[in-house]
Amino acid sequence: MSEGVSSLEESPSDQQVDLSILSELGKNALVNSLNSVNGAKTLVLDPSLAGPLGLLTEVSLLKHHGVDKMFWLEAGPLSVTTTNIVYLCRPNIKLIKTIADQVKRLTQDSQKHTFMLMLVPRTSTLVSRILEEEGVLGDITVSSFSLQLIPLEDDVISLENDNAFKEIWVDGDETAVYDSAQALITFQKLYGLFPRILGKGDAASRLTGLLTRLLPQASTSDVPETLMAPSEKLDSLIILDRRVDMLTPLLTQLTYEGLIDELIGIRNTYVELPSSLLNQSTTAGPSAPPSTAANTSTAPAAVLAKEKKKKHRLTASTDKLFAELRDLNFSSVGKRLNRTARELDEESKHGKLQAKTVAQLRDFVGKLGGLQSLRLHTGVSEMIVPLTRTDNFNRALEIQQNLLSSYDPSAQITAIEDLMAQGADLQIVIRLLCLASLTNGGIKAKTLEGLKRDILQSYGYDRLPLLLSLSSPSLSLIVPNPIPPSFPPSVAASKIPWSSVRKALRLVADDEAGNDDSPQDISYVYSGYAPLSVRLVQCVAQKGGVLSNSATGDGRKNGKSSNPSELQVRAHPIIGWRGFEDVLASLPGDTIDVQQKGLRGNNVNGPSADATKMILQDRTSTTVVFFLGGCTYTEIAALRWVGRQSRGEKFLIATTSIISGEGIINSISGGSKGPPSKEATL
Amino acid sequence: MALPHPTASWQPMQDGNVFYRRQQFYSVEGKFPDLDNFIVSGCRYGGPLAMMRDTTKLVALGRSNAPFSKNEIRIYSSAGEGLLLFTWSQAKIIKFGWTFDERLVVLNEEGTYRVYDLQGEYQQWSLGTDASETGVVDARIHENGIVSMTGALALLEVKGWDGGQPLVLASAGLTEPPHSWTIIPPDQTISRHVEVLISAEATIFSVDNLECVDQRLSRGPFTHLAPSPNGKSLALLTFSGILWVVSTNFQRNLAEFDTKTAAAIGAEGPARQVEWCGNDAILVTWDRLALLVGPNGDTLSFFYTGAVHAVSELDGVRVVGPDVCDFIQKVPASTLSIFRPGSATPGAILYDAWEGFTRRSPKADESVRSIRPDLAAAVDECIDAAGREWEAYWQRRLLDAAKFGRAFLDLFNPTDFVMMGQTLKVLSAVRYYEIGIPLTYSQYSYTSPNHLVTRLTSRSLHLLALRISTYLSLKPDAVLKHWACAKIAKSKPVASADATVDGGDEELCRVITEKFKAVGGGGVSYADIAKRAWEVGRAGLATRLLDYETQAADQVPLLLNMKQDRLALEKAVNSGDTDLVYHVLLHLYNRMPLGSFFRLIEEGGPRLAPASRLLQVYAREQNREMLRDFYYSDDRRVESAILSLEEASTMSDANAKINAVKAAQKFFSDDKERGFEAKMMDESVRLLTFQQQLEKDVDGKVLVFGQSVDATIHTCLVNGMTKKAEKVRSDFKVPDKRFWYIKLRALTTIRDFDGLDAFAKSKRSPIGYEPFVRHLVEKGHGKEASTYVAKCDAPKRADLYADCGEWTMAAKECKDRGDRAKLEQILQRCPNSLIARELERTLSSMK
Repeated sequence: MSEGVSSLEESPSDQQVDLSILSELGKNALVNSLNSVNGAKTLVLDPSLAGPLGLLTEVSLLKHHGVDKMFWLEAGPLSVTTTNIVYLCRPNIKLIKTIADQVKRLTQDSQKHTFMLMLVPRTSTLVSRILEEEGVLGDITVSSFSLQLIPLEDDVISLENDNAFKEIWVDGDETAVYDSAQALITFQKLYGLFPRILGKGDAASRLTGLLTRLLPQASTSDVPETLMAPSEKLDSLIILDRRVDMLTPLLTQLTYEGLIDELIGIRNTYVELPSSLLNQSTTAGPSAPPSTAANTSTAPAAVLAKEKKKKHRLTASTDKLFAELRDLNFSSVGKRLNRTARELDEESKHGKLQAKTVAQLRDFVGKLGGLQSLRLHTGVSEMIVPLTRTDNFNRALEIQQNLLSSYDPSAQITAIEDLMAQGADLQIVIRLLCLASLTNGGIKAKTLEGLKRDILQSYGYDRLPLLLSLSSPSLSLIVPNPIPPSFPPSVAASKIPWSSVRKALRLVADDEAGNDDSPQDISYVYSGYAPLSVRLVQCVAQKGGVLSNSATGDGRKNGKSSNPSELQVRAHPIIGWRGFEDVLASLPGDTIDVQQKGLRGNNVNGPSADATKMILQDRTSTTVVFFLGGCTYTEIAALRWVGRQSRGEKFLIATTSIISGEGIINSISGGSKGPPSKEATL
Repeated sequence: MALPHPTASWQPMQDGNVFYRRQQFYSVEGKFPDLDNFIVSGCRYGGPLAMMRDTTKLVALGRSNAPFSKNEIRIYSSAGEGLLLFTWSQAKIIKFGWTFDERLVVLNEEGTYRVYDLQGEYQQWSLGTDASETGVVDARIHENGIVSMTGALALLEVKGWDGGQPLVLASAGLTEPPHSWTIIPPDQTISRHVEVLISAEATIFSVDNLECVDQRLSRGPFTHLAPSPNGKSLALLTFSGILWVVSTNFQRNLAEFDTKTAAAIGAEGPARQVEWCGNDAILVTWDRLALLVGPNGDTLSFFYTGAVHAVSELDGVRVVGPDVCDFIQKVPASTLSIFRPGSATPGAILYDAWEGFTRRSPKADESVRSIRPDLAAAVDECIDAAGREWEAYWQRRLLDAAKFGRAFLDLFNPTDFVMMGQTLKVLSAVRYYEIGIPLTYSQYSYTSPNHLVTRLTSRSLHLLALRISTYLSLKPDAVLKHWACAKIAKSKPVASADATVDGGDEELCRVITEKFKAVGGGGVSYADIAKRAWEVGRAGLATRLLDYETQAADQVPLLLNMKQDRLALEKAVNSGDTDLVYHVLLHLYNRMPLGSFFRLIEEGGPRLAPASRLLQVYAREQNREMLRDFYYSDDRRVESAILSLEEASTMSDANAKINAVKAAQKFFSDDKERGFEAKMMDESVRLLTFQQQLEKDVDGKVLVFGQSVDATIHTCLVNGMTKKAEKVRSDFKVPDKRFWYIKLRALTTIRDFDGLDAFAKSKRSPIGYEPFVRHLVEKGHGKEASTYVAKCDAPKRADLYADCGEWTMAAKECKDRGDRAKLEQILQRCPNSLIARELERTLSSMK
């Protein structure tokens, strides 16, 4: 019951890793870059950076540092009044060409301009080369703005690189892996070395390789103290690459936040909602400015919102109700809203009677903020409920559940065909098809051809490249069964022995575990399916949780009278994958287990010595889980749940970006369709 | 000891409140040429002096000790030792000056500038085409950049010494060259951007990269402008000889002095130099006179036997004359406090007590006890004063005094004491005349020990540099690297004479690596050393050394230079740094014939696969022609086909699009594994052709080109072209189920309910009739939907009727089936009381 609350009640001193340093670092880097150009400047911004930048800074700060106007970096001419033009973008070839065009056009102007290009996260030979080929390298000063891990919540940090998945597994461009390594090294510089790095997956293995190789390089110049020895606050880094668990993002997320992402869409923690929901002027009664309204971002003058929609940042830091709701299975959100409403109602009645002193009055007004947030979330739920009642939504859910439990696979294929005939979204059909292929080790060649033909006829022959990408060896999301001999051996190797893995890791929950109000297992986030990725984390950090949920369940029953902190089981130390070697070996990709001793790590005590030390001191340590290629909101919710089950262990979730199944499919089907470029605000 | 007391060199100013002292650093008699005939530039922090003949002056032949040719630049240490000599063969030199790391910058009138290190190695850059067209007339060089004035009187700024892009500063609107001008370096301005001060007519313009501000002065023009070392004050000298000091924002008048009053002692004619002595006094020099002007217009005069050159320092001013190299500074506070006659500060008393103690005077103990509360401060003062003294004798005495005082303290942190001892040892080593770096303690503190080590290294004083780094526990890497490079460069002639014995590649490599192992140069970049070896033409040695390098980013560029292409590419791929891979790929693409470039990548197999994929990413956006060739040469038919399809998707012309799809079809059909894809593309071409024809038939009134099969059928139906729709259906073998759904949606869209009815009755629906109801309800046609309910499964009918809004029918259905529970359920859903009453009536009528 009280899971959502307990994480909030922890005192700030318990916060092991202070993430605000990370955002300060980013902010300072930006300010320094801006200040290197004297005077008023026009900032031209890569739309995909607007979100991440908005998490770091406000428009006012930019203005304060001489930014006169801001424009999106879009093809076409740029009309500027200032002499200085600063471009801020990722080293994306298309964008660079657009910049080159604009520079060429502007240099013909009578007014002289100075151009500066700030590349995120580092400068690149490729960019200089393209600028050179376009003949503008001489006119533009290229520098870098190192935008690395940005805190989204107090336990989530992200590189906010939406294209990472596509670049790594579709294009084969592993820049994101390198950038992740750099970001993790920066992280270690701030907080200390990870004593142990565990991981699964080929790309994860390459990332680990880079981390261990780049570290001595990073330390040659001037060694920060933190890199000298393993950190005491962090106990390990668990790297999972998305390829290891492709199943999870294909499924429909069923937590509150996950469903908002599935059905409305969350970008860089912002969600677009009808402005009536966010506008407090319609609320009756005494209206002090509610705290959540202050949080909605203000639009820069450069862009005006076209629709009557407003962006709202979903964050637990200002919205306590959201902190409670975000990780709940959607089926229990209504109940929680109801209860909160009742509580507020009672309290405000009392409040009216008692608000005599200023302090009480302030208390009362604070509650009004809670009212505003209640209104917001009730509204959002109202938007979502009808969408979850549609035929296609429920049929897709049913197919997913059946496929996961390997119930009558051929009937599911027929069901997918029917869904297509009814004109379901392409992304839904593709997700189900991938899921069918993954759980059954492929689809019969004949059936597969028929399905592909249906897709091409229904959604257009121009979808053929998408289908080819999905069945390419690097993704192998849709493969024929049996695999023809002409396919490279890596395809066969990348198959998941689904039924054995499902049993070994208890991925599909038994019926009794599905109590949505007080979940007993992480499987609640998908109403019965435990995300494979999070199970793998549990294999390292909470071995009991993989085998059964009785450990925690019993603890709960017995410990009802005792206080909640003793009710939790003490977390066991990190001892690697021990106990799950066989399952891990059966999953595709390398298994990683590396210990980092630091530069003066001559005192080799071994992990067990460290571990016992930790137990004796009864300290809380943080496990960093890094998702290479992105993670979903449900996985975050599941990890939070795992973190609450045991004492002395916290999870910090790091990811290249927050993803959803739809986002993945869109990004594979063509870069431009990936991130919608309509963001209006920072 | 016969050494004079420190106060012997002191001279009072401001009625004895402030003292200045002149210390002789070196005696340089006969070592320098006559400075009068030379243009001199001195490097700060006790650095060297660069000299070039002033070609505007006549030189008496035969008398000077060494003939100094016209185009020669010589560099001397402050002690007069020659460090470097080189000839300048390019266009006329406009200006030369020093960087922070003691390199000489030489700028010529064509806007080309070179940065020389003390070994004579240089890097060359240009100020750009503007500067070379109009020429450069003047320039100011500061530690981290140049500001130059072009022939068109525009100001160009270059930041840093790595060939940065010149920036144009705001125009001052000059019509003729200014009388004089100067710059305040960026690290001393408030804006952190360089500020230029130009004396034009009677006023001064301050210019930065944004604007030009007229300071509205009337006392100009000025012959000299000099900003103080901290950038806060500015000294101006007018034509009439008035020295005027203001704050750099021209808000405060600080001092004024008429230099003509000093004419009697030799201040004749125009002043040679106006230089700051620290931040609070100004040294004005004439031919044989240096006049120090203090804040209140007090002066001190120093006489020399010939022309002098003054170099402003942080804490004083260095004056190089014909015989001596002097340092004039304000007596530091600690020294003043201890040695000032009659001083009764704790420091002075401590020092006095110690002297008494050495003379076995009983008073020593008593006087130390008398300053007990201030003793710690007194000790610190003695330590500090030791650092300010030039002579080892006085340094030692002051440290001894500190040590003596320390003995009376219960708790004392000896760090400062030890550090000072170390520092003085280092300073005394570098001040030795053969080294010739007269570095003061405060300059040393400002520039850091590392800086000093670098300076020694660049003079090739490797042993001293290494010993100092070891002594101060600094990393010896930089020194070792420089040493190895120098070793390689020097060993070359030996190698050519006798290749096997001493200078052989193997031998040399062994010597270098062993040396590194011995002195712990773990972090030395072997790549840099290898690069050096490569530059002097020793490829074998370079390869050997490169093997020791751990960082791919450093290995790769050199490997490329050495034409080790495959190795470079492999190292880049292994490094995981995609940018490095691009670096190699693009380099090779430029250099190699396309065929062999492709072969290199293809033959790399899986090891170079990442490189191949990166090349594709690049080429897809930037160079499709190359990508097509690449796929073609590697027989990648599927990729070729996808490329064609991608192009097709961006085309707007129908025929071009069809041709592109046809090309893709061809590629697929060449690959026997891709029969399915080929067939699909065949269908695609057929569909596109059909759509093209269809649009032609209806004169483009219906837009259908590029739609999917389903959408085409839909469009045909919506536009009443049932025949065409049927044709598409049969041509493309659209399954019944899908066709029925499409038609259902299409007919609903155009509200052709009769058509829909006919269609529903045409044969038994393959999708059942529930979808009819649901779709119609969804589109808001509840009434029409209800007609199909009767055809649905009996148990669902009641709910379906309710969905259609036919409550009576729903109730009737329940009644017919006797399903009381269902009716109660429906009752919950009903929208108003009227219906509710009716339903209740039905409910009550049921048993």
